[in-house]
Amino acid sequence: MADEVYPDWEAVYRDNIDRMYRLMFAKVGNRPDAEDLTAEVFVAVLRPLRVSASVGEVRAYLLATARTVLAEYWRRTLGKEVTTLDEEHIETVFADPPAPSNAPRRTAAILSALPDQYRRILELRFLDSCSVREAAAELGVSVANAKVLQHRALRRAAQIAQEVDQ
Amino acid sequence: MTGRGLLRYIEDLLRGNRPRPFRAEQTDVAELRTAIELRAARPGSGVPREEFVTQLRRRLATELADTPTWGATRIVGTRRQFGKGAAIAAAAAAVGAVVDHTLTAGRSDARPETGHAADTLTPTTGDWRTVAASEQLPDGAVRAFDLGTIAGFVHRTDGVARAVSGSCTHQGCRLLLDTTTRRLDCPCHTTVFAVTGEPLTHQLPVTPPPLPQLATREANGAVQVYAPPAST
Repeated sequence: MADEVYPDWEAVYRDNIDRMYRLMFAKVGNRPDAEDLTAEVFVAVLRPLRVSASVGEVRAYLLATARTVLAEYWRRTLGKEVTTLDEEHIETVFADPPAPSNAPRRTAAILSALPDQYRRILELRFLDSCSVREAAAELGVSVANAKVLQHRALRRAAQIAQEVDQ
Repeated sequence: MTGRGLLRYIEDLLRGNRPRPFRAEQTDVAELRTAIELRAARPGSGVPREEFVTQLRRRLATELADTPTWGATRIVGTRRQFGKGAAIAAAAAAVGAVVDHTLTAGRSDARPETGHAADTLTPTTGDWRTVAASEQLPDGAVRAFDLGTIAGFVHRTDGVARAVSGSCTHQGCRLLLDTTTRRLDCPCHTTVFAVTGEPLTHQLPVTPPPLPQLATREANGAVQVYAPPAST
């Protein structure tokens, strides 16, 4: 598969657009930026690419470009490299069929390590798309309390995530 | 003390808005990373919008139309060793043929005759489903297939297998393969499509869009298209 050659740029696009978007969304967490960065990668990659590049070469190039584009994005927006693509490898990013990500397991592990109220507020807000008002009603606390709870929960979750990484 | 920039950033993430930049401190990074990770775990997050995929494809077609890279100039010199597979065998057959094919493909991207670019049909959930054995599809062949959820036509041109939807883009009538002319005929309004999906002739006030392309691959001697799973 990796030795095969893409017949044209459309084949490169068709074959990789979904995975590139998924990759970017996982790193920036919002659609407008994920779309812009995905577009940036394809424009940068397809312009200079040789037609005869193999699937493996194209994917290596896509991932390398995505790393640069993401690093530049963080430099431009927050001045800190919040997420990177340094740990990602072609084999997993472009596995066919798509490899099940270990992200859900990681997220579940982080959430399950939190005290109950912390876990609930994060689930409601991050996973279930609840507004802060809705989440407060669900938890039976005031909106102001829900906000405080969310901040503390996220800070605690970030600590746990770092422990999980070590 | 959590800064306002960080709070606003996280609130933007939760609302699906583009987060507004702020001057982040090193102490914010872990929280930002976790917020992104949790937000990305929301169901359905990693799937691109159909409109985005289509629009970016159009944009690329326009931008790449003025670059010679995807045309003839650099192909000959950079042709590298080829691996296995039917597509490669055909590509290696004659450099001249490859160049011609690529040039034609490059031009058809712009599709000046219709102003439409063919979109790729990408189901939200799908599987690679076999539509023909590779050996059943020699170069130049066209075959109809029906997977229940999608019916279409698969053809092989210059060694590469590709598939298009088998429903007319005008009003959805099921196209018929004319094996003698190697074209797809609409029984309803005498519209004719090429097996590659471009509309060829029609009697409608407006040229219908090209047929959606289906993601196609060859694996282990089978031609497969990416289609929704069979209904149970």
